Amino acid sequence: MSDARRISSRRRPSLAPWLFISPWILGFFFFTLGPMVFSLIMSLHDWPVVGERKFVGLQNYQTMLTQDPMFWKSLGVTVKFAAIFVPLNIALSFLLAVLLNVKVRGTALFRTAFYLPCVISGVALVMIWKWIYSKDYGLLNYALSLLGTEGPNWLGDPNWSILAIIIASLWGLGGTMLILLAGLQSIPKELYEAARVSGVPAWAQTLFITIPMLSPMLLFTFITSLISAFQQLTIALLLTEGGPLKSTYFFAMYIYDNAFKFHDMGYAAAMSWVMFLIILTLSLAVLKYSAAWVHYEGEVKGGGNG
Amino acid sequence: MVRTLTYGALIFFSALFIAPFLWTLLTAVKSEAELVAWPPVFWPEEWRWSNFPESWAKQPFGTYLWNSTTVVVLSTIGQVFSSSLVAFGFARFRFPCRDPLFVLLLATMMIPWDVKMIPLYMEFNLLGWINTLKPLIIPAWFGEAFFIFLLRQYIMTVPMEIDEAARMDGANAWQLYWRIHLPLMVPGLVLVGTFHFMNAWNDYLGPLIFLNDQSKYTLPLGLGLFQGRYDIDNIAIAAITVILCLPPLVLFFFVQRYIMDNALGSSVKG
Amino acid sequence: MKTTRRALLSATLLALAIPSASFAQDKVLRFATWNTDPASIAINQAIATKFEEANPGVKVQIELYGDGFDDKLTAAMGAGDAPDLMYMWNFPAYKDALLPIDDLVARDAAEMNLDDIPAGLMNISKIDGKTYAMPIGFTTQVVFYNKDMFAAAGVAEPAAGWTWADLRAAAAKFRNAETKTYGFAVDAKPDPFDFEQFFWSNGTKYISDDGKTLEGYMNSPEAAEVLDMFADMIKTEEAVALNIGDDTPGSSLFKAGQIAMFQSAMWSKTGIDESGINYGVAPLPAFGDKPVHSVIGASGLSISKDAKDVELAWSFVKFFSTPEAVEMRTNDLPIRTSVADKLGLAADPITKPFFDMLAVSNRETNAFLKNPNWGQIQANLALAIEATMVDQGNAKAHLDEAVANSARFLN
Repeated sequence: MSDARRISSRRRPSLAPWLFISPWILGFFFFTLGPMVFSLIMSLHDWPVVGERKFVGLQNYQTMLTQDPMFWKSLGVTVKFAAIFVPLNIALSFLLAVLLNVKVRGTALFRTAFYLPCVISGVALVMIWKWIYSKDYGLLNYALSLLGTEGPNWLGDPNWSILAIIIASLWGLGGTMLILLAGLQSIPKELYEAARVSGVPAWAQTLFITIPMLSPMLLFTFITSLISAFQQLTIALLLTEGGPLKSTYFFAMYIYDNAFKFHDMGYAAAMSWVMFLIILTLSLAVLKYSAAWVHYEGEVKGGGNG
Repeated sequence: MVRTLTYGALIFFSALFIAPFLWTLLTAVKSEAELVAWPPVFWPEEWRWSNFPESWAKQPFGTYLWNSTTVVVLSTIGQVFSSSLVAFGFARFRFPCRDPLFVLLLATMMIPWDVKMIPLYMEFNLLGWINTLKPLIIPAWFGEAFFIFLLRQYIMTVPMEIDEAARMDGANAWQLYWRIHLPLMVPGLVLVGTFHFMNAWNDYLGPLIFLNDQSKYTLPLGLGLFQGRYDIDNIAIAAITVILCLPPLVLFFFVQRYIMDNALGSSVKG
Repeated sequence: MKTTRRALLSATLLALAIPSASFAQDKVLRFATWNTDPASIAINQAIATKFEEANPGVKVQIELYGDGFDDKLTAAMGAGDAPDLMYMWNFPAYKDALLPIDDLVARDAAEMNLDDIPAGLMNISKIDGKTYAMPIGFTTQVVFYNKDMFAAAGVAEPAAGWTWADLRAAAAKFRNAETKTYGFAVDAKPDPFDFEQFFWSNGTKYISDDGKTLEGYMNSPEAAEVLDMFADMIKTEEAVALNIGDDTPGSSLFKAGQIAMFQSAMWSKTGIDESGINYGVAPLPAFGDKPVHSVIGASGLSISKDAKDVELAWSFVKFFSTPEAVEMRTNDLPIRTSVADKLGLAADPITKPFFDMLAVSNRETNAFLKNPNWGQIQANLALAIEATMVDQGNAKAHLDEAVANSARFLN
């Protein structure tokens, strides 16, 4: 690239953007960079919480990939969970957001109701779900018995437990729903009016107006759901402790066990980096292909502000 | 017809989301005997409202409440302010390394906390922040990737013409942020405020790791203490949970209309 | 009271014109516990207050970590900021952060009257010849039984010297599908630490004494026999299975009269007392004519290697094991024989079986003291136990798998 072109592409060099993003830059150096580097160093060591540390090179990574069946098992559980949870989470949130976007009386109450689960803290959440899923006395199987079917042993049957975790996780979709709702609200009403006048049917309005206009928020929920699915820990840890028979033993739980139960910090750090790379790769892939379907009204394509 | 269907669906889903909360409320007013009764009792014979003051008195919850409130208020203000600044920077400017930096920002969301915990503890220990509320407040003033990403997406749905018009009128970058975008961002800011408020209000792990002394504890830590190694005080957990839910619920009920109250959707041509 | 004392102290110091760097500043001893129940918290607070009275200028800061004990301690130790004093039971996992107290114990042995503490209890924290804690309480394992249910069913109550065959025969008589009543409860996810007592009682153990061999121990025929027996009790409905999908604790079932017998330890006693059930306590049953052996669950009080004032921390540990303090700790069985005698615990029919089990249970060493990677091995073992209970049998295959998957932790 010639000097002339480079100069022309930054014709108004400015400090302003850097000032705006400086809080995050500083925060990154204070609170993130150090721990990241530290954990990378840890991953190359046999690193007990206390006691002698020994440099072992890539051995932790090698053990993980070649000698540890639990690594693959927990990765499999996590991928299965993510593959089901992420699409369901977005689809249901979208459905609820669209429902709430219809002007009816009492939306404030409905919105609060949908958000309610997000307000309840972890300890209580688990108590509630244990009661719901209890085989003989749970609310869920009671409801199923009213419908004339016998419910499964949700948390006790390895074939059902992952589904039980997915349902419990979906219960907290209030946040995603609100994000999409806010996105729906920012779509100019004129677009729909124009479509209605030209006789465009409702489904086509959804497909050609709502979804493209909402795409920045859909991208956001897609990526953040993906990340949270891979980091899924709390619900499974408290509800099933990874069981029965490790059917809900998530990757993040295996990391947690290595760090806080087995005190094998080096191995936990190595696993964390593997997980980090997996999520990063997936997210980058999503971002790369998002250009094809995400539509930004206010994208800075040319010089922008500055 | 559409309206009836919408109502039906709304009521159905509301019931799904509310039922467990109602059960928590019922548990909170049960007696110990009803809790272990077999088969379980769904409806308490007598509503023991006294469970609430009794559970509250089992620990210094007044102190916890004060600590939690301090953390939540101070960190939420910081989070909303800093995240909106950074988001604006990423959404509305073109500068060298912007895109790699943004990917780096996203990447910070993907690091598991397990391995961050010990180095962070060391750092806070060096700074003398352990056993103070600072680790729970100060980092929020430097923005969090999730919220920055959210607000950046939000800003990017705002048409560029708005900025150009403001520029014509001689607005500088700060005025553009403060006068034009911040008001337009209100629904996004309310979202960030709500989410951060809830995260901070219910955070268990952060306070557990960084606080030592009971006089510094926050509400979720107190709640966690009802779950012992061999014993669990279900009634107290349920009662305190109900109490803990109320402030955020009431607050949410009042701010949620700002999420809907969108200037863009109604007045601006796309 | 304390503020007055502090005010007095600072006034005195001021009068003496001592440089102000440290004046009026209490020396703080950080003391971490996993206690969460108000009774235990109050007991520790009372002991701490007594200690503060005897040591002016010292403040004991009790830190309640509860269920987050390991998370909190791991992070704090990893960052070199451990509390001065802490409850401890998992010595192998934390030993590198703890101060060996052998020299201190030897120095103050006379003053501490160590003969009064059973040797088995002093050994709970001994690894490679080093002691890492003073015991603070212990429990052995017993069987609680509901006297009213036994009387109503006309079944003879358990007696010393009984066997698992006796227990199973009795349990079968209580099964009632209608009322969901069972004779006994089998935990599908037992704490492997406790579960090893059945291996011992059946003449095997988890791992060889040198901590290097699992083959022929963890998957021995005797081991498989134990697991298959419990699985069979679930299959024949002599026992309800705990922790397969429904985590109603066995103690709740026992307190509600849904099971006639419940195998547990001291920590269940308070709750059972409160429920008002008319109960008795029997020692663990034996496997045929093999000698029975209980696990001794004991916790200790340890000093951090990084404690700022070791002498002060040690004086608190000593204070914690004085007869006076031991007697205050009513939530545990006393570690001092003199206190147990004084309270008449060894004669009381409810507490006697705990002491009877203690008397016969000093032959074996817990697996976690033998191998530094026991945590990982134990995870595989726990899976094998759970799988056997879910399968209702097939123990040998599951144990073989656990042994195979644990191979990389043996060296």
